[in-house]
Amino acid sequence: MFDRPDIAKALQTYVLDTAPVMALLLDAEDRVVDANDHARRVLGAGAVGRPLAEQIVDFHHTLDVPAIIRQGDTVHRLTLNTAAGRPETFGFRFFSVSVGTLALASLDFQEQVELREQVLALNRELNNLTRQLYQANAELRELNQLKNQFLGMAAHDLRKPIGLIMTYGGFVLDEAGAQLSGEHREYLQTCLRAARGMKQLIDDFLDLAVIESGQLRLNLASATAREIIAGAEPVARLVAAKKGITLLVEEVDDTRRLRVDASKLQQVLLNLVGNAVEHSVSGQRVWLTSRWEGQNLVFAVRDEGPGITPEDQSRLFTAFGRTGQRKTAGERSTGLGLAIARLVVEAHGGRIWVESRPGHGATFLFSLPTKEEEKP
Amino acid sequence: MNQPVKPGFAPEEVYRTYLRGLLAHDHQTCRASFLQWLEADAGLRSTYEDLVRRSLYEVGDLWERGRISVATEHLATAISESLLNLTYPRLFAQPRNGKSAVVTCVPNEYHQIGGKMVADLFELNGWRGYFLGANCPVGDVIKLVAAKRPEVVALSAATSFNLAKVVSAATEIRAAFPDVAILVGGQAFRWGGRERVERLPGVRCLTSLGELEAWITEHGKHV
Repeated sequence: MFDRPDIAKALQTYVLDTAPVMALLLDAEDRVVDANDHARRVLGAGAVGRPLAEQIVDFHHTLDVPAIIRQGDTVHRLTLNTAAGRPETFGFRFFSVSVGTLALASLDFQEQVELREQVLALNRELNNLTRQLYQANAELRELNQLKNQFLGMAAHDLRKPIGLIMTYGGFVLDEAGAQLSGEHREYLQTCLRAARGMKQLIDDFLDLAVIESGQLRLNLASATAREIIAGAEPVARLVAAKKGITLLVEEVDDTRRLRVDASKLQQVLLNLVGNAVEHSVSGQRVWLTSRWEGQNLVFAVRDEGPGITPEDQSRLFTAFGRTGQRKTAGERSTGLGLAIARLVVEAHGGRIWVESRPGHGATFLFSLPTKEEEKP
Repeated sequence: MNQPVKPGFAPEEVYRTYLRGLLAHDHQTCRASFLQWLEADAGLRSTYEDLVRRSLYEVGDLWERGRISVATEHLATAISESLLNLTYPRLFAQPRNGKSAVVTCVPNEYHQIGGKMVADLFELNGWRGYFLGANCPVGDVIKLVAAKRPEVVALSAATSFNLAKVVSAATEIRAAFPDVAILVGGQAFRWGGRERVERLPGVRCLTSLGELEAWITEHGKHV
């Protein structure tokens, strides 16, 4: 019944119009001279009039297209550029007909299935890796917590004997120093300097351990920028003066208040000024300023030191992130001051950064956001 | 759901939206519904059981009845699995109790989301839940068990034709580790099979995340 001309015609029309099969008619030179609607949709109208070989993606020029076209009994996997702008692989079969060659092609479903399976497998693997990453991070956090506990305990236990060394060493120097030879007095002073350095290191360890273990408690109270600076200024001046450096504190807009832990921020300012002084030489200046930028209060400590290279800047605010910079008077520091400053600023919801070019000094800045209720 | 939820949270409505999203391949809608459920304080287990598990069972049913294509079923699973990642910041922040579980899918089982939810539930309850993934050779499971010495090994199977693999995997693990607890479960047991695996010594079949949570509580939740 299907060979009745009207039925055959209907079938042919339907199949040619709707089936996802491309039908291309090639002339004797293998040029596409006609195409069904599906082929025109997939390959674009420009496919007609061009040789089929030109439309096949063949990066390595290994395909003998005329020979393939004349192998009528095989399905060939050929990749063509499509109108959508991406190459797709089709299963082609070629039939010799009275007016040339009829090429019939459909998407290579086997490849689609394989690709889908591969994408799903990759997705599973990616999800598993994500899970492992979170799990590993959790384990690292636990280890870090243990490290902080250990550090806290060790630092706490070391503090007392060092305190004793400093106290009684100080007594000896004060009360019996005159009876010591100059050489012995120098030995004792060296011991005391080393003990002070060790105490500073222990104090920084304790600060870091407390902050990193999430036990940092901010005592928030309303303060102005001037009040915050005023708490740090006397000590900062002493530190600078000791090395013959002028500390310049610039007047600030003192009309706005924000809720901060002023004493912790003063520690940050002292760390930054101390750092600036360490990298300056006698006669140079250090500036301590503040300004409002929109809703953020920005503090800045600027020096005239040697500046910091971009590589060094990236690790400045990490614990022990020592840089290639040398302290100008061979000072010793714990390498924790800037890391502690970062953690305190971040606990306030702020951020800290440095602006510097080698040879042109450095400016350390931190900004503190104003909470909604503090806005004027 | 067994804990109070935020007022105004309509679980059935959120569930239906999520399911429609899965069937329409609409990742964003699913993500919004998933987050809505998570943020409703209904509990992570409820998100897994009442949203993810329920919807995937329904998707599986639709596929079995020829109502959706296998591609849609696969994409629904892929979307759901990617959304589990959203729970991890909360999940892995739980305090640990020093116990651990090794969770895996049996060989030839490519549906891994159920097993992953099991591993996550262990994490949620303070255990370390090591997850080996889909189609895992039993030899690899045995190696990890030897290395981690977990309290329990959990085997997951989603398709019933893999039940025999569950039995053989549990038998091999039992032979290598006479004392480790073995749990089995998954959609494969939906229509039976429990009695077959529970004939093996020290093997329990759990058919829901609720049963699993009860088991975890019984065997030590937090420190």
